[in-house]
Amino acid sequence: MKKKKKLLTFPSIIVLTVFAILPLIIMLVYSFQSDSGSSGVTLENYTNFFLKSVYLKLTYRTIINSLAVTIISLIISYPLAYFMAKKFKGLKNIVMILILIPFFTNQLVRVYSWLIFLQDGGVLNSFLQSVGLIEGSLGILFTQGAVVIGLVHAFFPYMVITIYLALERVDNSLLEASSSLGASKVRTFFQVVLPLSMPGVVTGIMIVFVPCLGTFVEPRILGGVNGTVIGTVIEDQFFEIYGWNFGAAIAFVLFAMVIISMTGLSRIGRRYDNE
Amino acid sequence: MKIKTLLSLFLVVILVFALAACGGQTAEEEGTDEPATLTVVNWKDYGSDNADFVAAFEAENNCKIVHVYMSSEEELLTKLKTAKDGDIDVCLPNCTILPSAINDGLLLELDTTKLTNFDSLYDRFKVQEESFKDGKMYSVPWVWGSTAIAYNTDEIAAPPSSVSILFDPEYAGKIAIRDDFNDAVMLAAIVLGQDPNNPSDLDAIKAKLIEQKPLNKTYWKTGDEFSKLFAGNQVAVGLMWSGQAAFMKQDGQPIGFVVPEDGAIGWVDTWGIAKGSQNPDLAYKFIDAVISEEFQYDWASTGGPAPVNKDAGEQIDPVYAASCGMDEESLNRLYFMQYRTDDVKKAWNELWTEVKAN
Amino acid sequence: MRKYFTDQLIPTVYALMALAFLYTPIIVLMVMGFNESRYNTLPFSFSLEWYSALAKNEVLINAAINSFVLALITALICVVLATMFVLGMKTLSRSMEGLFRSLIMMPMSIPWLILALSMLLFIRFLDLDKNMFFVVAGHVVISLPYAMLSLQARIQALDPALEEMSASLGASALSTFRRITVPALAPAIVAGGFLAFMISFDNFAISYFLIPAGTSTLPIEIQSSIKFGFTPEINAISTVIIGVSLLCLAIVGLIMGSSIENMIGGKKK
Repeated sequence: MKKKKKLLTFPSIIVLTVFAILPLIIMLVYSFQSDSGSSGVTLENYTNFFLKSVYLKLTYRTIINSLAVTIISLIISYPLAYFMAKKFKGLKNIVMILILIPFFTNQLVRVYSWLIFLQDGGVLNSFLQSVGLIEGSLGILFTQGAVVIGLVHAFFPYMVITIYLALERVDNSLLEASSSLGASKVRTFFQVVLPLSMPGVVTGIMIVFVPCLGTFVEPRILGGVNGTVIGTVIEDQFFEIYGWNFGAAIAFVLFAMVIISMTGLSRIGRRYDNE
Repeated sequence: MKIKTLLSLFLVVILVFALAACGGQTAEEEGTDEPATLTVVNWKDYGSDNADFVAAFEAENNCKIVHVYMSSEEELLTKLKTAKDGDIDVCLPNCTILPSAINDGLLLELDTTKLTNFDSLYDRFKVQEESFKDGKMYSVPWVWGSTAIAYNTDEIAAPPSSVSILFDPEYAGKIAIRDDFNDAVMLAAIVLGQDPNNPSDLDAIKAKLIEQKPLNKTYWKTGDEFSKLFAGNQVAVGLMWSGQAAFMKQDGQPIGFVVPEDGAIGWVDTWGIAKGSQNPDLAYKFIDAVISEEFQYDWASTGGPAPVNKDAGEQIDPVYAASCGMDEESLNRLYFMQYRTDDVKKAWNELWTEVKAN
Repeated sequence: MRKYFTDQLIPTVYALMALAFLYTPIIVLMVMGFNESRYNTLPFSFSLEWYSALAKNEVLINAAINSFVLALITALICVVLATMFVLGMKTLSRSMEGLFRSLIMMPMSIPWLILALSMLLFIRFLDLDKNMFFVVAGHVVISLPYAMLSLQARIQALDPALEEMSASLGASALSTFRRITVPALAPAIVAGGFLAFMISFDNFAISYFLIPAGTSTLPIEIQSSIKFGFTPEINAISTVIIGVSLLCLAIVGLIMGSSIENMIGGKKK
């Protein structure tokens, strides 16, 4: 029985191995080659990344941005998922669909719409002026703030969904039992609901933070002169210069960082699992 | 057990690829009766994919034109390098990648006698160094243009006389230069009086660009971005391509375009035939059609870049030509972009990354 | 009164605020599709010119249809693969599970641009032609993690005791699966399918590098247009897509009635 079940994982593993791992091995080989043409294994792409302060600085900027996006997404998503799972009865399906619908539009078009909405003299600016909240121009477009807004918008719905899926499994009878035993609502939440929803929170964090590290569209368009992040550096290596080797090396460094942080995260998730 | 599992995995993989390979082959077999297909790699909305032109060419030559869009010059190089024979027939490289492509044998040597319109081209564009190797020609010029100053005529009355307007604090917050290492370095070199194609002091260029950075509203990356920011009054002056400025002007935008006295950046787009093209004769016909007087005039006079065809150029209204940098005077002021080795590109790109990260 | 406050008012207001944020750019996008200005500038002046231009733009419409079909196939494959994977994963040892987790995260953390290019190099390495098979494979690879993660969030909250109980009561493996596991996972399967669909529908890099010449998708058309500028026809087609998908969901909802509600909402035992 157990062995048979193990077989169920094979199709996915095969697909990912054949169409992701094997191709990426080619890129991995590139990342250890010098792009000045000479063959042979070299670490120069990796040392170049770690020794030049500019790349470390941009990596730092990217991580801070991604963390901000993840935290803000969590703050928006958890209550929404909680209300959907526990408070909205028939409405929750409609809310769920409403959350998904915006993603049938193109990412670039959405980002441009933010640009039009946030720009000085744009919709938001005029609105805030007319209600007297601000005078003059807003000045939010082309700042890190605008990048974070764009990225939170792009990613938080994923988090709502993972948290919702976990919360929805939490049996209401458990909550009733807890409160009938005299636990306060707050205590019930922190001791019963939150731990049980942790798998959803952990996957939610992954599903936001990880893709955030590699994005380049929102930073480039909404971030102005300071919109350069590690994702744009990678993109430039492929589109602006013929620098595959270095571009691939940065990507693999990012991947290593992701795996390390995810291992840590899933430890946290597991601790809640065991409780 | 383990060996069996591995074996079955292996079999599945082979089966999958066998299927994939078959899929490809049957598609090819089906295609034998149909008219020849000409695969053209170009920018989207850049002349050759004009629906009327495509329809007329297809009808005349009993063929089908398929456009594949490129996203940058380097990416075109990637496309050429990863293409199989017959994947690409005609493509549009410029000088930044031409020597690489020629040296790697990605382009066919051209026989210009097969092009009936070749003699009508301006001589100066026929001799672009990057199109040649060992005296053999590998690409035919198509259009030229400039990356120079576009400005809002409502806010700036007189055409700026120098690119230093982009470094002028008076316009702080209304400037947008392009997020492109080549344009940025060449621009700063012009301002500093260095040779834009062989700058002597990269440190000074970097310092100048860092100094200029806070004056920008943003760095624009795509023509789409610039046109929307300009139309939305976010940007009043910036670096822009001549063709797009001309198009926006025709569309009613208050945009002026000038190649200032101290010069700007010039470029030439050229057509090459990819090695392995299955339809070289059709490819020649295609190139001949797009360098024809008719095509060149039609496009240049409706918001396209400047023509290389002399007969077309002479027909264009001189006032219009001057307003979008197509005139002789502008042409003589330009520093035409030259090929740079990978090492130079890398150094410039890193410099620009450092400016942006500063 | 207080119960009304905490159970009704606050949740509703909160959800409305979140949706307002989510729909801000969508509304801007829709409005600009009806704006005369090619460059989305204000003041607004109503026009249907972009819709009539769209109606004639066969290239764009075909590209949108291609994207839709591609995303649908991708989502179906992903849902099946991800469900199987998540069910099997519980039986793996900790270290294997960790390894597999990293494997899943790979297509999410490596920029798709690089993944796409390496797939192209791989196909050339095997001396094969570009074809739709590889496009689908590429889309499955990048969409699969999203389907898997949403299923994982669910299955970790699933009580293994239930399945064991069912088995000990003599239910066959199949019937346990059908009666206990599937209903418990259904909402996650639907959500995972949606996510996979969205990722595939909006993907540029994979399609761009792997698609055979002559075929196009909506993201390819849009991305290629930005060199010189896309017109509000793109806003128009986005609005049409949103309208059509809302309509489809409403029709499905009407026909299937409460059964779909149970499916998405998860049947309570």
